Amino acid sequence: MLWGVLLAVALATTVLHRDRVVALILTSLAGLIIAPFFAFHSAPDLALTQISVEVVTVLLILLALHFLPATTPDALPAPRRLWSAAVAGIAGAGVGWLAWAMMTRHHAFPPISEFHLAQSKPGAGGTNAVNTIIVDFRGFDTYGEIIVLGIAALVIFATIEAVLRSPAAMQRLAIRSPRREDADRHPMMFAVATRVLLPMAMLVGVFLFLRGHNMPGGGFVAGLVFAIALLMQYMASGYEWSQKRQRYDHHLVVGWGILIASLAGVGSWVFGLPFLTSGFVYVTPWPLDTFELATAAIFDLGVFLTVLGAVLLALASLSRLALRTGDAPQSRAFDIDPTEDR
Amino acid sequence: MEALVATAIGTLTAVGLYLILQRRTFPVILGLTFLSYAVNVSLFVSGRLVTNAAPIIGTGETFADPLPQALVLTAIVISFGMTAVLMILAISGHLQAGHDRVNLGDDARKDDA
Repeated sequence: MLWGVLLAVALATTVLHRDRVVALILTSLAGLIIAPFFAFHSAPDLALTQISVEVVTVLLILLALHFLPATTPDALPAPRRLWSAAVAGIAGAGVGWLAWAMMTRHHAFPPISEFHLAQSKPGAGGTNAVNTIIVDFRGFDTYGEIIVLGIAALVIFATIEAVLRSPAAMQRLAIRSPRREDADRHPMMFAVATRVLLPMAMLVGVFLFLRGHNMPGGGFVAGLVFAIALLMQYMASGYEWSQKRQRYDHHLVVGWGILIASLAGVGSWVFGLPFLTSGFVYVTPWPLDTFELATAAIFDLGVFLTVLGAVLLALASLSRLALRTGDAPQSRAFDIDPTEDR
Repeated sequence: MEALVATAIGTLTAVGLYLILQRRTFPVILGLTFLSYAVNVSLFVSGRLVTNAAPIIGTGETFADPLPQALVLTAIVISFGMTAVLMILAISGHLQAGHDRVNLGDDARKDDA
């Protein structure tokens, strides 16, 4: 069933891709179908990550669409499109065959995952083998990855900075064809609902973060959940309103994230161990049950902060562009003041 | 099941490539998103398809291969970073050049004329 929907959605995208909002929605649908696929095939961590990444991606692309034409203008001539379709079809068939061939054959070498499964609990102290691979066994890989993410966020910031300084670009931005704006740009229901939801969403984030080592969750997902909760505030109440309540600079959040992860890595040198060696102890404070304290959690905190900062920095950069387009700045929380007598 | 997943991967790849070949920034971004779905799923299935065997110690007898899952998890987040950077490059390209074509070869000049 899902397979049929996925195929239909994917093929519809090729036909309808010229209306960009429709194309974006179809793309996100494809991503949302992949999430239950992961969940069904024993990868709850992947399903969680896929869903939250999908939400963040769609929100950012929607914001970005504000600055791009709403439709792709002239289509390519028919022979050209046929040629593209032929190339794409052949490549797709090849990749599909490759995937099928891989799945239906036996491993050429025994997979090394047995080691990870066997060592997850005694070696790293966590029962979620996926998470222990990310923060313990392959911590260096993850460390590099959050640095890439941080750099990507800085690239976004720098590119927007360059656009803001280019007179030609600003001129184009100013004469951009006016769009129809809704009268009530920050609907009260939406604003109130997202504010009530904010602490709950953050609680879910903390919960996912804390259980990460043993159950599905972890720094990546927690960071994304936090980011979505904050993104909703920006969407519901406007950038200005939210920015005034933003106490920490996004750059700093990214920087601290990488710094904390680095410290968690360097910390093992003190004990004469290689970079990013993780340790753990089990503690049983009196009223509570036994739980685990791991240095990997410090590393995961760094991952969490970097992901959060990177998403918010990308959003803030886009919003800076929006503020320069002459869209009326919104300083009040609602467009309608409910206390006003009317 | 394997055949279904394989055709889905093939379709996602084909759609991604077709969109990239449209040579406009926005379809290219969507195309790369489709391609990264395809790549993520095919990386994931290199651990084979198993159900009810989440790699969480103590919840069952057999476990799915956790290594591809960990690799794909980071890949999903990285592809988000890539999409965001591309999106910004597309905006900046559109604002600075006044159009959103991705090719600067002879065709583009012909089109502009």
